[in-house]
Amino acid sequence: MSLYELSQNALMASLLIYSASFFFYMIAVGGKKWSNREPQAHAARWGWIGFAVAALGLAAHITFFITRWMAAGHIPVSNMYEFMTMLAMAIMIAFVITYLIYRKALLGVFTLPLAVIIIAYASVFPSEIQPLIPSLNSSWLRLHVTLAALGEAFFAVSFAAALIFLIRVTDYKRTDKSAKAARRWLEFVLLVILIVVGFLGSVFTFRAAGYEAVFTQVETVKTPQGEEQTVTREVRYELPPFVQPHSSEVVSMQPFLGLTEPLFEAPSWMNGVNAGRKLNTIIWSILTGVILYGLLRLIFRKQLGAVIHPVLSDIDPDDLDEISYRSIAIGFPVFTLGALVFAMIWAQYAWGRFWGWDPKETWALITWLFYTAYLHLRLSRGWHGTKSAWLAVIGFVVVLFTLIGVNLVIAGLHSYAGVS
Amino acid sequence: MISNTKCECGHQNPVGTVLCEACGKPLLEELMQDSEAPLEMRYEGAARRSQKANPHLIDRIWNFFSSVKVAVWLIVITLVAASLGTFLPQESTILNLHTYEEFHEYYKSEYGRTGEIFHALGLTRVYDSWWFITLLVMIGTSLVVCSLDRVIPLYRALSKQQVRRHWQFITRQQVAYVGDAPQDREAWLDRFAKELKKKRYKVRRDGDALMAEKDRFSRWGPYINHVGLIIFLLAVLSRSIPGWNIDTYISLDDGETEQIPGTRYYVKSEKFTVEFYTDDELPESMKGKLRPKLFNTKAILYECVEACGDPTREPVLKKVKEHDIRVNHPLEYKGLKLYQYDYTPQVKLISVSPKIVNKETGEEYGPFTLRMRDPDLTYQVGPYTLTLRDKFMEFGGFDAEGRPMSKSREPIAPAFVFIIKGPGLPESGETYIYFPRDIDKVIFQQDVLNKAIADKVEIRVSSMEDVEFSEFTSTLNVRTDRAMPFVWVGASIFLIGVAMGSYWHHRRVWLRFDGDKMALGAHTNKNHIGLRREVSGILARSGLPVPENTLDNRRKSH
Repeated sequence: MSLYELSQNALMASLLIYSASFFFYMIAVGGKKWSNREPQAHAARWGWIGFAVAALGLAAHITFFITRWMAAGHIPVSNMYEFMTMLAMAIMIAFVITYLIYRKALLGVFTLPLAVIIIAYASVFPSEIQPLIPSLNSSWLRLHVTLAALGEAFFAVSFAAALIFLIRVTDYKRTDKSAKAARRWLEFVLLVILIVVGFLGSVFTFRAAGYEAVFTQVETVKTPQGEEQTVTREVRYELPPFVQPHSSEVVSMQPFLGLTEPLFEAPSWMNGVNAGRKLNTIIWSILTGVILYGLLRLIFRKQLGAVIHPVLSDIDPDDLDEISYRSIAIGFPVFTLGALVFAMIWAQYAWGRFWGWDPKETWALITWLFYTAYLHLRLSRGWHGTKSAWLAVIGFVVVLFTLIGVNLVIAGLHSYAGVS
Repeated sequence: MISNTKCECGHQNPVGTVLCEACGKPLLEELMQDSEAPLEMRYEGAARRSQKANPHLIDRIWNFFSSVKVAVWLIVITLVAASLGTFLPQESTILNLHTYEEFHEYYKSEYGRTGEIFHALGLTRVYDSWWFITLLVMIGTSLVVCSLDRVIPLYRALSKQQVRRHWQFITRQQVAYVGDAPQDREAWLDRFAKELKKKRYKVRRDGDALMAEKDRFSRWGPYINHVGLIIFLLAVLSRSIPGWNIDTYISLDDGETEQIPGTRYYVKSEKFTVEFYTDDELPESMKGKLRPKLFNTKAILYECVEACGDPTREPVLKKVKEHDIRVNHPLEYKGLKLYQYDYTPQVKLISVSPKIVNKETGEEYGPFTLRMRDPDLTYQVGPYTLTLRDKFMEFGGFDAEGRPMSKSREPIAPAFVFIIKGPGLPESGETYIYFPRDIDKVIFQQDVLNKAIADKVEIRVSSMEDVEFSEFTSTLNVRTDRAMPFVWVGASIFLIGVAMGSYWHHRRVWLRFDGDKMALGAHTNKNHIGLRREVSGILARSGLPVPENTLDNRRKSH
């Protein structure tokens, strides 16, 4: 077995172990009211089992990281696959630290799936080891990426705590307008999470089935000299195409449930690289996410928040508020150091300027400004609790946009980290 | 709202004080009424400058910038402005366009209506616009004012803390405990103080009252990080000072030396190399693709020591540094930095070493070295004398009036016009045009141009060894940025401050007796759970087991 294969197996192992740990945490939290047991002792016992298993998963994850590092000859943080697997690892490290401080089993119930989802998302990208291009060959870059991910991981833990807080404090009995609105927003967040799950589910299902559709797209591009040129490009889909790229023709397409040709064409203003494929992927994700949500609603016959809410009744919301705040307070200096200061030092060495308003750079600053505003608002009365929790949720959305959205929507210097 | 500023303990407090500076008794009417709710401990309840009665204009400006609410709004507006600027490429990233109209056309044709609106609103040139810089300056002002408004009263309050505090002050802390006093108060206090010291608390006692405190320095973290940010912002703004910031580009062929504009320095590129990964090094999906591995300019930096700027003399250069400039490894010398920026594959001749052949006798003379840049004007080769009359670096044929012309100054297709004197040639010499590249000889028909002299002599290179050429032109980015040290100092101070404030927490414990009752209060600015756990542990080890969650004062209030 080569080092590379060893590392791939270690990652797969960690994925399975994390899932097991999630299961144990579920027992710890959900099984408290089972008969013939002392709730406190039960939670403590299964909480520790969950934690031990999570730590084992993290050990496998670190093994993946180190063996891949050895196989590649450079620290694996230089493309989207490597970054995302490391982000998941950082989240687990942040989880271990926060868990050791607060010992709340619930944190495991929400953080472990997050790590699993991110590893799954990483697996959407090619896992092969790529040699470095010169600008990425820098120790400052490695420090930058690693520490930025660690800071973001604490923001992720804060997001998890904030989400539990919101489900915990949402009132499922009141019938007034504001209570209904609060429940609806919470349902929306859960729906978005299911859309992400839907995205992963559809990508892996069709990948396993070996689905493929191929198009040729004719594009007009401007050369730097201002001349117009037509370029013919081949676009490959892994998901059945509802939408085909703008001004393209079908080369080959496996039929899917009677769908033998795309339903429509991407509009012309969507002219970015692979815009048609991205649109198609988004449609698929939303579709599967909504179907998943609908199925769950049919099974439980109530809002999903209302399904989780009763499990959380004996948790002190003030503690959750504190954990969410504290994770941000711990992550903020790390994020500043990693995502801004080391990034500036690297930029200074690589391009001779420490700041260039590149979209990715700017979004890192926006993330920082957002959490700065959060930390200042915590000083004011009235910004603890629900408002603060919503900010932590939005903050994590900003983090995800910086990491993924910028690459999806806006291309810049960081576009090496391509997105499916 | 605030009427009586004199506390019952006799201390005279400034207007705006929330908690008595001496004993901590709540001074506001509404705070006294709700006698259960935990106290707001921000800035120790001390009065700030911005809370002065009867504000004047300066006070009003001060008050505006001292508000955290205003600071948050400034941050949010900056955040939104910065994000709007990322959705379309900024004007500064678009090459070759300059005027407002050109940009208008560009955004209109590339992004349609959206592009037009973005451009009209100025969202395509956010980051160097006057309003964005004004926002940054306002944030800077807010940083200064907010910090000064709070740090001075906070410092005063913390440096003159009284041990014995008001009963309400203690019982209305977020972590609080009220219980029966132990039998032997003195002995118990000794034991309690010992346990506190084990946890690094500094313990002070005043009769039967006790106060313990640790990590007060963490309270200065926010103010230190603000100082760092101010230095950082000033450094960034100072980059517009003339001469503090050089940013130019120099393109060098192998072997070429050029002056760095505006300095006494010259840089020479010995050789530029580019390496690509071989197929063995590439994963399956990338095989056959060009993936760069290394860009390297072997550079020498010279300093001019004599005859600098004198057009009649050659400058005297002294070598000061030799460095392989690679991406991520710039050449650095006294604040001057040279970065590998770009390269173009373009074959250019550096020099040739041809021989002169007498075609009638077959005799060869030479070789002599002919440099493309700054060639010598006369050459003595055997019996021949060559005088350089003209040169064309990229020969472009003849213009309408039959005069030869050059398309550029780069030695891409050079041609040299010599006057040759020597055996078999007229006294006054013959004109001979020489193309060093064989291909140009054919294209421009050297022999036809030279007419009769072409049968008498020939200048020619016998092998490739006599030709020196450059394969690439390397472009270096020249930077000087005198603000950089301040940028790094500001960033470092910021990080130190943030770490102080985030990873250490100011914890205080107060204890007093009132009759046969004992009251304990504890305060921290972060991590109440940790404080509860610590206090509960210390109490337990002092023989007073109190469960963690009963110390939580918040739960009692709602």
